[in-house]
Amino acid sequence: MTPSYLLRRLFYGLLLMLGVVVLNFLLIRLAPGDPAVVIAGEMGGADEALLAAIRADYGLDKPVLTQLGIYIGNVLQGDLGQSFFFNQPVATLIGDRIGPTILLVLCAQVISILLGVFLGVIAARKPNGVLSGFVSVFATIGYAVPVFWTGIMLIILFASVFPIFPVEGMQSVRLRDAGFMIRALDVAHHLVLPAFTLALIYLAQYARLSRASMLEVLGSDYIRTARAKGASERSVLFKHALRNASLPILTVAGLQFGNLISGALLVETVFNWPGMGRLAFDSILRRDYPTIMGVLFFASAMVVVANLLTDLSYRLADPRLRGKS
Amino acid sequence: MSALLQIEDLRVTFNTRYGPVTALDSVSLSVNAGETLGVVGESGCGKSITALSVMGLIPSPPGKIAGGAIRLAGEDLTQASEARMRALRGAEMAMIFQEPMTSLNPVFTVGDQIAEAIMLHQKVSADQAFRDAVALLDRVGIPSPDRRARDYPHQLSGGMRQRVMIAMAVSCRPRVLIADEPTTALDVTVQAQIFDLLNEIQRDFGAAIILITHDMGAISEMADRVAVMYAGRVIEQGRADDVLDLPQHPYTRGLISCIPALGKGEDTLREIPGVVPPLHMLGAGCAFADRCAHRAPRCDSEKPLLQAHGHHPVACHAVAEGRI
Ligand SMILES: Nc1ncnc2c1ncn2[C@@H]1O[C@H](COP(=O)(O)OP(=O)(O)OP(=O)(O)O)[C@@H](O)[C@H]1O
Ligand code: SF4
Ligand SMILES: [Mg+2]
Repeated sequence: MTPSYLLRRLFYGLLLMLGVVVLNFLLIRLAPGDPAVVIAGEMGGADEALLAAIRADYGLDKPVLTQLGIYIGNVLQGDLGQSFFFNQPVATLIGDRIGPTILLVLCAQVISILLGVFLGVIAARKPNGVLSGFVSVFATIGYAVPVFWTGIMLIILFASVFPIFPVEGMQSVRLRDAGFMIRALDVAHHLVLPAFTLALIYLAQYARLSRASMLEVLGSDYIRTARAKGASERSVLFKHALRNASLPILTVAGLQFGNLISGALLVETVFNWPGMGRLAFDSILRRDYPTIMGVLFFASAMVVVANLLTDLSYRLADPRLRGKS
Repeated sequence: MSALLQIEDLRVTFNTRYGPVTALDSVSLSVNAGETLGVVGESGCGKSITALSVMGLIPSPPGKIAGGAIRLAGEDLTQASEARMRALRGAEMAMIFQEPMTSLNPVFTVGDQIAEAIMLHQKVSADQAFRDAVALLDRVGIPSPDRRARDYPHQLSGGMRQRVMIAMAVSCRPRVLIADEPTTALDVTVQAQIFDLLNEIQRDFGAAIILITHDMGAISEMADRVAVMYAGRVIEQGRADDVLDLPQHPYTRGLISCIPALGKGEDTLREIPGVVPPLHMLGAGCAFADRCAHRAPRCDSEKPLLQAHGHHPVACHAVAEGRI
């Protein structure tokens, strides 16, 4: 893995982000509806003079390409524009909410990979066993059930039947002034349900994928070599086989990251998690275009970064790819 | 005195979509310390399954040892616990596989893979095991072994990888070393080097070697005794010189006449016409009957058993009846 390779990947990542910015802008502008009317609506009424003033104010009277140029220039300087609704810089709005979203997404990713792979490995040990069948059924259900449904079911379950996990928000009001550790535990406590809800679909997929991948690897010649050395079954499974079986899992984990983020937006809405999801949801309803574009921008940036990290970890895990470009 | 490794009446079956088939039937073989037993036969005759049975590595399911015994220094391995087998594998008996390109784990360095084999059976530190691994790589003739030990399998050629496999197999000085077609996947020049290496290692370590091959030339150079297998049975067995010079079974004769005479080139290579019947099609008679010039009615109804005849045992009605 050479520095020049890293630089090239970084460069492509930036290029991709630029493409995303242009595409976002054009998509929003091509959508029906006049932003000036929306803004005027927020202000409580619209006559032609006001609309014209608003258009001039927000640069909406210029040709679309000029607007695009201005927008890109602003984005490059870290200015994502002003929210029509909140009347605050979009960057500030997102900055306040991106932390909880990243926390939720990373937790869900870690839970789904660790648990999914563990289930898959155990299932692969006895491909015709009970657990293996359970994993297959569970994977199919987990894949088929929509995430908001799982979320609502969990809310019903934990709000009324077993009230042990909070079903709403990220922090308890009464603990807001407590010490850091207590607050961290409080956030973790609130995180359980949303993170598991989000993890569930992917967990099932990882379980199925790692079961299949392990089954394939377990039939290979080098596994027989490991057994011929006298390696224990545990070492065969978790050392010799899993390291190889993890390669396709890594690939999928990288590809799934985008879906995970869009899933997070839904889960946040269901559990009232104070992340970008609710901001996105609210700004779409309110046609708050700069905010929508900002959210899309950050979500894409997260996907680009995640893909870059996946690619790097893939190279770390597979020595055959090191040194190649 | 009984042999170091003694296989008695071994029977291995596989569950297949044609129902259960018998991959090995009444296989009896033995090999002494310091001795090399050659096992020859066409593809699919059960050579690898025999080796894997000894190692306790028959893929199960679908396979299982359905009868017989495998005694290593008197201990019956078919009755041994899995824990006992793990302790023996790699330490008392080791195996070199037919597929050098795929038999090493692609994500670990070759040095680590050898060191692992050492640490599984000896109480040494990881550093010491790695140093031992480097020494073994040197022993099997790998140049700049300390650098190579840090290489991954994909950075080595097939011949190098097979040397690594040999280094790994002999790392704990096993008493029995099974080499399953160690050279089929390699160049001719490399083949000779690998055989030389096996000879040297046997001299150094005094191991009993079971050399599986379908290369009669290798047998004549390496083996003290030879067993010829056909469709899951041993059909002729004896001292290598006897079997090579005076083959009795029609199949063995065919095999030996197939060896290209030295210097005449590839086009003189002949093959025995016909193919080995698939296991699920084996009937009541001799499995070689379809390809045999000496076939008689009895051959279709009665399986010939291994019986002493002339210098060495052979399983053929025609030989037993003195027809050939
Ligand atoms: N997993 C399995 N399931 C069913 N049958 C099997 C299985 N493995 C091996 N066999 C059968 O056992 C027989 C012997 O196979 P084996 O691998 O021992 O042949 P071999 O003599 O080593 O051949 P080669 O020279 O090609 O390596 C084959 O006919 C094969 O059909
Ligand atoms: S038993 Fe009969 S068929 Fe079989 S090899 Fe001998 S002569 Fe040929
Ligand atoms: Mg074989």
